[in-house]
Amino acid sequence: MQLAVFWGCKILTSQYAYEMSVRQVTPKLGVELVDLKEVNCCGNPIESVNRLATIYMSARILALTNEIGLRELILPCSRCHFTICETQYLLATDKKLEEKITSMLREENLNYTPDIKIWHTVDLLHDNIGLERIRESVKREMGGLKFASHIGCQAIRPSYMKRVDNAENPRKLDRLIEALGAESIEYPEKLDCCGAALLFSHQEASLSLTGAKLRALQERRVDGLVTSCPSCHIMFDTKQENSAALIGSKLSIPVIYYTQLLGLAMQIKEEDLGLHLNKSPVDAIIEKIEKRSGRTLQF
Amino acid sequence: MSLSDLTKMSEVNKELYMKVLRKLAEEKLFGCFQCSRCTGGCTAFKLLELTPNTVMKLTKLGFINELVDSEIIWTCASCLQCTERCPQRASPYHVIIDLRNLAVERQTKVPEGYLRAVSHILETGLMQPMEKVTAKNMEIFERDTLNLPKIAGASEKFKAIFLETLGGI
Repeated sequence: MQLAVFWGCKILTSQYAYEMSVRQVTPKLGVELVDLKEVNCCGNPIESVNRLATIYMSARILALTNEIGLRELILPCSRCHFTICETQYLLATDKKLEEKITSMLREENLNYTPDIKIWHTVDLLHDNIGLERIRESVKREMGGLKFASHIGCQAIRPSYMKRVDNAENPRKLDRLIEALGAESIEYPEKLDCCGAALLFSHQEASLSLTGAKLRALQERRVDGLVTSCPSCHIMFDTKQENSAALIGSKLSIPVIYYTQLLGLAMQIKEEDLGLHLNKSPVDAIIEKIEKRSGRTLQF
Repeated sequence: MSLSDLTKMSEVNKELYMKVLRKLAEEKLFGCFQCSRCTGGCTAFKLLELTPNTVMKLTKLGFINELVDSEIIWTCASCLQCTERCPQRASPYHVIIDLRNLAVERQTKVPEGYLRAVSHILETGLMQPMEKVTAKNMEIFERDTLNLPKIAGASEKFKAIFLETLGGI
């Protein structure tokens, strides 16, 4: 299956580990990723500045997908996923807006088509590739490991338009973790926001949200926090130390992208998954997996 | 300045009221019946005292100048809980976004991060510059040393249309 891919600014300019791990695991599951010819920001942060500009920017990503002749697009970033899905929803319900955006895109000879199917890493793996195929790809089982999942606000809300998972009880990421043989815990803070969007205006409040969630998880003694959105990952991984300093706790929680964890289960080399770029202590996860792997079948 | 102070401060600006309400009508502002489920789920409420139901009420009453000048509209964490929870399909998130747009249009105080994002998009098409990342062994990496493909930035035409849409900020 061929899929167009738009990574989004955060992944393209700093969250290289997510890009590396997605590029590593998808071919093993029969998916070929095709990059767009050029990229622009999806418009998510610009929504606060000018909403029309945001709609134009995200419609342009759909038009660029059209340009390379593909009908399906994967957006590994939850914020891009929200913005581009919302544009698709708005343009489908507002003909006048659609005409305006279409004419803006036509200035570059780009064509907007409403029928592009949008995926996120989580629903692509869960709904399209399927848990069975994921289970079959596992070479090192992760039995005994206990993770918490964080899918991210913008991937699941609002449910009146197409979203990745259920808004009140998202379970797809948990089932994907369980497909690797690990446990995924239910915890009261599961739907709490990482605070990333506040980083522009209220840095301390933003970091205290991150810290509060991580502290709650530390008390639950999980082996790691599994993410699927670059913005959330930056908060929990890259900014873990800053948030610990702000809330006055010592935090030491390994934070790992689901695709990195999947790659580890597939026995892909750590540096190919970008695990050396995670700032949180992910070595602890790798050690635990290796300790167990003596007991699992080698294929 | 807290939101409760706002209600005591000034007269309703009728002309602005109508202009903004027409725009906000799309967000089904009038459906709001103050049940406050939005505030109950609000991420920013706990920390920054944002009460989305008050924003809805004040907008409906026409205290738009005050809201646009207030820092409270910049406290939203974009978690979308209010949009999700509203039984009337009104969306405080989208009302706040429209108020922010108005604040930018009138060049009131806008958090610097947003303006930085705009200027980066005008430069490369992306909202932030390429970063070099330091691995645990202190080795520094960027896209090509990680064997990631080169990325073509956005066309000049895109930047021109983007700038035009912003009204030449």
